[in-house]
Amino acid sequence: MSVLARSLEHEEPPVASPQIVPSEGRPAIMAELYDALTQKGLSLVDITWEQQRLHESRRWSVVEMLSTVDFTHVGEADRHLVWNAGRAELTTKPGADRLERLADVECRRWQEKNPTVAAIMQACGTWSRYWNEEEAHHETAFNRLSTVLRLERISDATFIEFRKVFPDDDMLRTLTLLSISEVVAAVDYGQCSQMVQDPGLRALFKQVAADEVQHMNYFVSFAKALVDSGAYHAKEAFAVAHLFLRDGGELHGSKRERVESRDTHVNWWDQLEHREGFYAPDALRKKEQLIFHALKRITGITVTSREGVEDTWMDLVGC
Amino acid sequence: MPDAQELESYIRRKFAENVGLTEAELFSEDLTLSTLITRSERMTNSVDLMEAFARTSNGLRKDFGLRVRLPALSLDTPVSKVLAVFMGEVTNPERKSA
Repeated sequence: MSVLARSLEHEEPPVASPQIVPSEGRPAIMAELYDALTQKGLSLVDITWEQQRLHESRRWSVVEMLSTVDFTHVGEADRHLVWNAGRAELTTKPGADRLERLADVECRRWQEKNPTVAAIMQACGTWSRYWNEEEAHHETAFNRLSTVLRLERISDATFIEFRKVFPDDDMLRTLTLLSISEVVAAVDYGQCSQMVQDPGLRALFKQVAADEVQHMNYFVSFAKALVDSGAYHAKEAFAVAHLFLRDGGELHGSKRERVESRDTHVNWWDQLEHREGFYAPDALRKKEQLIFHALKRITGITVTSREGVEDTWMDLVGC
Repeated sequence: MPDAQELESYIRRKFAENVGLTEAELFSEDLTLSTLITRSERMTNSVDLMEAFARTSNGLRKDFGLRVRLPALSLDTPVSKVLAVFMGEVTNPERKSA
């Protein structure tokens, strides 16, 4: 055998040159994740790349954003909004840490039984690192503002209390709850951005609201993929929506006559402090509409009222 | 229309079945909802509890044609109070029929 023949025999398949990689469109959340994994055959590497592209395209700097705020322009009512936001955002880190851990546990539980569900879980756990990083921006931005503005100090005891990790639950319930939490946060921050006087502070609230909308869309996408897989039942999504929307439900947050006292974890919406004469974001109707829309996207079931959510949930529960 | 006693024993039985505890465990100690969640192997949190209420309500609807909607109850509510709320709903002439 000649040297030439031998070298041809061991020739490796040609490597695609960078020039033939197809051009990528604008980064976006995969709304049809189950379809992407099953029909389109995307791998976790592909999905992670999309997550990375979107994350990079949305990055912003807290330091730069704060440099645009004119502290002399921030009135008493606006200061109170900042203080509440900073305290509330302390609870997001344990939320993201827990999601990462739960998603990985669930991934391994499903790996043999249903590799697609395992991949959805892993995609969700992988994305939680971006969620955590983005929420860190929100937490530090508002708390730094509170410090500079010399607002009521958040004690280390409160900081540690707000870092308590939410107990584990069914993954579809968890993702629906997180979707709704992001709906409430996005609407509240959107309202804050319209109320505050200083343009720099307005831009900060607007940016954070936009981030929360993006997080909500991610949670909806993961929850929908679980329902699409057939491994999770729409009932769980409706149960959580009913928990928020029912009379005296979570949607009313700390404005409820009675807030459950828990020693296990802190729900940020229960801890907002409302002060007499100060504006507090509400917009219940808008939040309800967005929750109905999220339920439609997750489960495919249309509801248009709180009663409709309860009736649908009760039908799904059965006897 | 069943009498009140019949309805009460139905609600007790169905609710105990749905939370996965015996009627004796549930009602003799008059457990609070938070203790009930801790004791029941089927319950993780208040969403499970809500579902147990819903199954009991759906049973009343299916077997007696009664429609019951329960308000949000705090976790320190004793089960005797839950039973009273159920009974108030099923005997309330203003309630909607199924």
